Parts: sequence; C-alpha cells; structure tokens
Amino acid sequence: MIPARTARTARLAAEAKATRKRPKRIADRAHTWDPATAGVVLARLGPRPPLGYFSPTEEAAARPLLAHLLATWHDEADIPVLSFIDERLASGEGDGWRHAGLPEDGPAWRRSLAALDADASLRHGRTFAELGHGEQHRLLRHIQDLGSHDWYGMPAARVWSLWTRYACAAYYSHPHSWDETGYGGPAYPQGYLRLGRGTREPWEAPR
Amino acid sequence: MTPSHPALGTLRETLRPYGDVRRRNASAWLPPVGRLRRNMRRYDDTDEVDMVVIGCGAGGATLTQRLAHAGWHVVCLEAGPFWDPDTDWVSDEAGSHHLYWNEPRVVGGDHPVPLGANNSGRGVGGSMVHFAGYTPRLHPSDFHTKSLDGVGADWPITYDDLKPYYTRIERELPVAGQYWPWGDPHPHPHGPHPVGGNGQVMLDGCAALGIEARVGPVAITSGRFGNRPHCVYRGFCLQGCKVDAKASPLITHVPDAITHGAEIRDGSMATYIETEGGRRATGVHYVRGGRPRFQRARAVAVAGYSIETPRLLLNSAIANDHDQVGRYVMVQGAPQTAGRFADEIRMYKAPPPEVSTEAFYETDPGRPYQRGFAVQTVSPLPITWAEHVTAQGHWGTDLRERMRDYVHWAVLGSLCEFLPQPDNRVTLSPDESDRNGMPVARFDHSRCANDDQLMAASQQVMEDILRAAGATELMTIERYAHLVGGCRMAATPHDGVVDADLRVFGYDNLFITDGSVLPTQGSANPALTIMALADRAADRLTRGEVPRP
Repeated sequence: MIPARTARTARLAAEAKATRKRPKRIADRAHTWDPATAGVVLARLGPRPPLGYFSPTEEAAARPLLAHLLATWHDEADIPVLSFIDERLASGEGDGWRHAGLPEDGPAWRRSLAALDADASLRHGRTFAELGHGEQHRLLRHIQDLGSHDWYGMPAARVWSLWTRYACAAYYSHPHSWDETGYGGPAYPQGYLRLGRGTREPWEAPR
Repeated sequence: MTPSHPALGTLRETLRPYGDVRRRNASAWLPPVGRLRRNMRRYDDTDEVDMVVIGCGAGGATLTQRLAHAGWHVVCLEAGPFWDPDTDWVSDEAGSHHLYWNEPRVVGGDHPVPLGANNSGRGVGGSMVHFAGYTPRLHPSDFHTKSLDGVGADWPITYDDLKPYYTRIERELPVAGQYWPWGDPHPHPHGPHPVGGNGQVMLDGCAALGIEARVGPVAITSGRFGNRPHCVYRGFCLQGCKVDAKASPLITHVPDAITHGAEIRDGSMATYIETEGGRRATGVHYVRGGRPRFQRARAVAVAGYSIETPRLLLNSAIANDHDQVGRYVMVQGAPQTAGRFADEIRMYKAPPPEVSTEAFYETDPGRPYQRGFAVQTVSPLPITWAEHVTAQGHWGTDLRERMRDYVHWAVLGSLCEFLPQPDNRVTLSPDESDRNGMPVARFDHSRCANDDQLMAASQQVMEDILRAAGATELMTIERYAHLVGGCRMAATPHDGVVDADLRVFGYDNLFITDGSVLPTQGSANPALTIMALADRAADRLTRGEVPRP
C-alpha cells in the first residue's frame, strides 16, 4: 500500500520538479545510449580534420552553396557540413548507385562546383563566391528550375539532388540539429515508452 | 474465403506451444550467434561440399539452415561481414551506411531506381538487417495475374503450394499483428504491437473513411520469443535491430545453421560459377581477403538478390540460352505522402512498420488500371525526412522551417504493384569494373501506363486518409521500394530462368533461391515470400522430391 503523502514530501516533490533541469540538448543524453552509438554520434561534436578532398577553389564555391541550401547564415550552432561532405567524398564512401551519364559522386561534386563558377562568371563575370547574396540565390533558383534540362553537361535535377542529398545527410546527422527538429535521438537500451498522438517522454520538450 | 472463426484461429495460433518450431529451427533458443560462430565448422576449399550457397540473406540463409538441419554439408559465401549487433550497429541514421550494398552500380532508364540504402543489403542477414519489418503474404491472385487480369505472368506454382511454408516461416520469425482479413485470411503467431503517433493517424483516418486497416504484420517479437526480448520501440528498425526483436536471418536462421555444421564464410565475394558440360556446376570462384579462391561443391545455389544474382550469372556466361537472365526486374512504386497535424505525432517512436491496409490490393473492375496497391505507415527519421522535404523542392529557409516542424508530421507510403517488363533489366557495364575486376551491374527501369495510374490512385488514397485524420498540409513525393525478379521462375526455359523447384533450366545442380525468382510481386513486401520460397525449395530437396544432386 502507498502511504498518503505528507505535506512536507509533497512540497519537496514540487520543489524538486520546479528545479529539475530539462537537458538542453539531445547530446546531453549520451550517457543513456549504448557505447557504439554514443561513440559514433559524439564524434561529430569533436575536432574536424583539415579538408582533404575539395580544392580551395571548390571550397570557395561549396561554402556559399551549402549556406544557401541549408540557410545557415544566422545559426548559432556551427554544424561543419562542408567538412562532413569532404570527409565522405575523400573516403570514397558511395551510396551504392549512380545515374548513367553522371560520374561517381566525388567527381560529380567537382564538376558541379566548377560549373557553378562557370555559370556565375558567364552571368556576372565573377566566381560564385564573389556574387552578392541575392545573385547567388537567383542563380541557384535558376538551376533548380531547369529540372531535367541540361546544365553544363549534367541533368540539373540530378545535380540538385546530389547537392541536397549530401547537405541534408550531413546537417541532420549532427545532434545539434536534433534539438532544432525536436527529434528524440537514439533510445537504446532505454527505448521509447510514451507512444501515440500528443504524448512525449518526460525529457522531451513540447513543440 | 473467410474462415468461420477468426477469433478462434487467432487464439489457437497465439497459444500454440513452440515445440515444433524449436525442433525445426532452434535459433531463438540458442546462445548469441557471435558465441556460436567461434566454434563454427570450417570446410576446406578442396572439400566437395553438398551445397555452396552464395549470399546469406533471406533466401540464402533460410536454404542454408534447412539443408544443414537435414545433414547436408553446406558453405554459405557472404560478401559482407558477419555482424555483431552490439558493436557494429548503432541507433543512428548516418552511422548505418555500412549496412547497405555500396559497391558501384549504374542506374538508367526513364525512371531510374536508387539502390543502396533503398533496397540492397550486405553482410550476414542481407537486406533484412535493415528492412522495415513488414511481412505480409502474397494474395492467391498474385500467382496467376496473367489468366486472371491479363497482365503480368502466371507462376508455375500456386498460393496453396506456398501456404504451408508461409505458416512455418511466420512462426519462426515470428510475425506479430492482428488477424489478417485480406488475400487468404489468417492469424499471426504474436499479437499486435501498440501503435505510435503515426500508426494512430493512419487508423484514425481509415476509420473516418470506412477503410479497413490493421496493425501489422511485422516480424518483430511482441512478447518474448526464446532468448529474444520484446521490442523497446526505439524506432531504428531500418538501422539494424540492436535489441534482437526484429527478425533477420542473422538471428532467425544462422544460429541453427551453425549448430548443424554449416559454415557461414563472410567477406567472400563470388565472382564466377564454374560449370562443366553446360549441365553441372562444379564450384564457385570467389575473392576473400584479396586472394582468389575456389570452393568445390556438388551443387550451387545463388542467392545474391535481383542485381547481384543476374550479374554473377551473366559474368559466368551461364543459364542464359534464352536471354532471360536479368530481365523482368521489378520495384514497387512507393509514393510517400506526409501530412502536418496540430498535435505532436513524433513518428520516430515505435517501429516504422505499424499499420497497413490491403483494401486496394486486388483489381477493381470499376477502375481503369489492373492490380492495385497497399498503404502502410513509414515514419522516416530526420535525414530521410529531409530527403522527402527536398524532393518536394524545398530548400534554404523553407527546408529548415519544415524540418523544425518534424514532430508534427505523419507519413504514409504505398506499395504499387508495378508490372514485369522485359526491358527493365540488369546488364553488365561494358567499360566499368569493381575492385575485384568484375563488371559493374547496370539496372535500367521505366514505368508503363498502368504503373503511373497506380501511383496516382494510391497518392489520392493516402491524401484522403491523412486529411480525414486531421492533416492541414500535405506533401507527396515519388519513390520506389523493394526489388524482385531478374531470374524468374517459369514453366518453360523460354519464359524464365528457373523451374518451380528453383532449379536453373538445363542444370542438374544449380539453383537460385532469392527474390530474383519472383515472376510478379503483388503489393506485398517481399521478405516473407522469399524465405517461404527458399524453405519450399529446401524441403523438396531434402525430402528427395527433387533428385539430390
């Protein structure tokens, strides 16, 4: 039988509840994850190796490209998207398929970044990185609108999907992005207990 | 077709003792597979084993276990690693990339199909390691769509030939779900799982529209099964189940195979099947640890799935007298519709496979198209969700806003029965090789008019369901799921590559036991059917109904 609460224990419980801090970030819950998962996820918060795949010219085009695709100009959390992509391409880790008419992902990235500079200099006489914010945005919108039409020897839609696929996989693999989306993160061995519409775990913040 | 007592059937199935399952396949009651592996029997390349099986996925592992259990000496060559779920698998999307077949492949045609994560596995357990877990049966109509609806092909076997094997495999996985009212109605051995937000949305929407929907069927333990624990609803079915609750051959068939003397030889990429006289296979060339090797065998079974099996046969220049190898490869049209809700859905909790309906599975004479589709919950994690949002054309601020709203979205996917077409095929790339010097596979795929109509019809149904459940905004994208065909079974060698016993036409001792043998695909996820077909082939071999090679 559960004894009736005294006024004192009720008060202490209320105080404890009021002062209990919600973890600010999903990454703070790493102690509840299994070691293999914690190792893989927390490594993304650690120091990054220098770029090994992109040349300085390619890097200069890729940085503003990724900033536009992911709208990261005003972000506090600095998620090293370019570094993640560079590491992936340097390791030669493919997705297990490529489109006929396009090279493997790494060379396709190089070609598309060179094309971005070529298109920018054709229109404005400057590299993509040197364009103003609005000019960069309009050029990207133009490439997206080309759809399946050709853009510098590649179907524009395929290039667009290559860019967004890599950019999103890098950005949304970072635990700080999970704080932004409200995603609960890894939950093994603990598991999720509160299933169903409108329910959340005690440590999940309402959205 | 409806049995008179669904409730009684369900009760009988869930209360059934496990004795016969355990005698047939004790995998769930054995020590962890990593420990069994230390004492695994090893064969020499020079030993002429009874069967060498190529590929340790749904088809290959099931065949290996059945043959070993019957006393055959079996070696199973697997290109990928022998996984240890504790250390090799993580609860993380980007960190699970190594579970897929990531070797170079080229996709073409009018509607190219992404491979890799989408449909191709690697390592012991095959793509079932990262399959969602749905295990529906095919319907009886799927076995004769040609005579019934004038499309597709007739199988050389019927549903009744496969039914006992469906039942056996369902008990071994085991499959959890409500009583199934469609196709051949049947109960499931484990009760349904509780549903999360996404499943609830689908049930709510279907109820409002009067569409029948059910929880399951999923190959995820609901309750303890031998040493395998209950699911913990962490939502990472597609990243490999660390819990051991979701079935994959690594835990459902490999343990029993090893205790019966089979060798699972990992890191072994088969490159060429050796034959003599165009009638007999004599062994398999493969590369292990960078060294070319050759395993002698009395018989060979290929189970590399719809891309690698045709690739290996084409590279070996065998079994292709009638230009059938690599043809009729099928994927299912799998448009995905997302709906935004005011309340929190949090679809990342609970297994992504929760609720499905087969109310639109069969040909509806009132519609302009033949055959049909199934609708299921899909519940993408953040990276896959971002792919959905970008496929809709969103980027920059638009993309980030929709991603910030992640917990408010629910996602349904459909499986449309695309029809088999001869030109949807696997060929060898003339000018490109992998690191072993083997030509890279190219897969060309285009849709036909019936395929397009099914995609549009299923999108309409999914949007209706989500709207009826209260969605205020919808986003639909086109995608494809699963992979079958490429070496289909047929009555004659002019129409396919293998006969009803999965034996390659013209060969005494060469078999294909994977998803590539399916002549049609229905709107069902293929894993259960692949296992049942391999079980049937093994059963007929071990009983002597097919002459032992």
